[in-house]
Amino acid sequence: MSTDPYEVLGVKKGVSPGDLQKAYRRLAKKYHPDLNPGDKTAESKFKELSAAYALLEDPEKRAQFDRGEIDASGTERPRQNYYRDYANSEQDHPYANSSGFADFMGSEDALSELLRRGARAQANRRGHDLEFRLPIKFIESIAGASKRLTLPDGNTLDVAIPPGIVAGQVLRLRGKGAPGLGKGGFGDALIEVEIMPDRLFTRERDDVYLEWPISLSEAVLGAKIKIPTPTGDVTMAVPKASNTDTTLRLKGKGAPKQGGGQGDQMVKLKVMLPKGPDPDLEAFVANWENGKTYDPREGMAS
Amino acid sequence: MKITKQEFLIRSGLGQETLASWLEEQWLIPSDSSVETSFSDIDIARAQLIRDLQEIMGVNDEGVGVILNLVDQLYSMRRTLMTLQNVVQHPSD
Repeated sequence: MSTDPYEVLGVKKGVSPGDLQKAYRRLAKKYHPDLNPGDKTAESKFKELSAAYALLEDPEKRAQFDRGEIDASGTERPRQNYYRDYANSEQDHPYANSSGFADFMGSEDALSELLRRGARAQANRRGHDLEFRLPIKFIESIAGASKRLTLPDGNTLDVAIPPGIVAGQVLRLRGKGAPGLGKGGFGDALIEVEIMPDRLFTRERDDVYLEWPISLSEAVLGAKIKIPTPTGDVTMAVPKASNTDTTLRLKGKGAPKQGGGQGDQMVKLKVMLPKGPDPDLEAFVANWENGKTYDPREGMAS
Repeated sequence: MKITKQEFLIRSGLGQETLASWLEEQWLIPSDSSVETSFSDIDIARAQLIRDLQEIMGVNDEGVGVILNLVDQLYSMRRTLMTLQNVVQHPSD
């Protein structure tokens, strides 16, 4: 993309305002997207032209650009949809005018028969599918949920999120799309589910992973502790002599598997010492012979 | 989506009188019920096209009418082509 506005408009640097406008008009006539409905590049060309002209038609901005104080970015004017976006759609509108080819429609030849068949098919065409994105919480993706989508037209759509849904999965709600024509019926609503990351849980296949802190006493002596799962808290037995990275399995607490069954929740323990110095702990460890001889770095490359 | 006349004037940036003359020329054809005139998104986009023709391209009123007539025929022809394409691709429908 050329960013020199003079180059975009095909004019020399010293061009007079009159010639500048003339050049812009000539190119705008050629590239206006509504006058080139089949040309996908027309819109970007026209945008570029308009941005270049917006910069150069303003004497102050043009002088600043010439002195190198500003560049050509940021002068694009915001633009809503073009007419061609509506007139090209299959929706009926009052501006349709078939007088330019009416002679093809009335005769007995093959083309007019095809057109008539097309018109009949068109008359009972099914409505369009409408696509939506729906962000949900991680917990909702495992446990399932019922969500309400507000549509652009202000209507709402209730969406049942099945338990165990994965990111990017598309839910199809039959008959909740755009209305069809004649006997065509409604299209479908296609809802792409986006799962927001969770502070605690991650997921791998059908299993849910959680890292959970335990105290030194719980690790050494074992304990029953409360563990969150996507479907609510459960009590889990931490066995004696558990350690950091010890991973415990909570059977059936993961995501539902396709075709039955349930994944597991894997709980990875993390042993946490109490915060700050603790004289009792220090005294205990100082007298603990085994603790002095144990080398956790044994076998690690140095 | 239906748009009231007031909202149409704001969103299209047209004045009352300009709108009246465009309606007179049938450059815009809003849907007219017995209760009130209502516009839609396609009317707003069409108004923008007319403004582009006049302000950017310097087309005069006579020219706008001619262009709109041909533009409407072009878009109808495109829709017919799309219909034909559908029939050719799915002959059983």
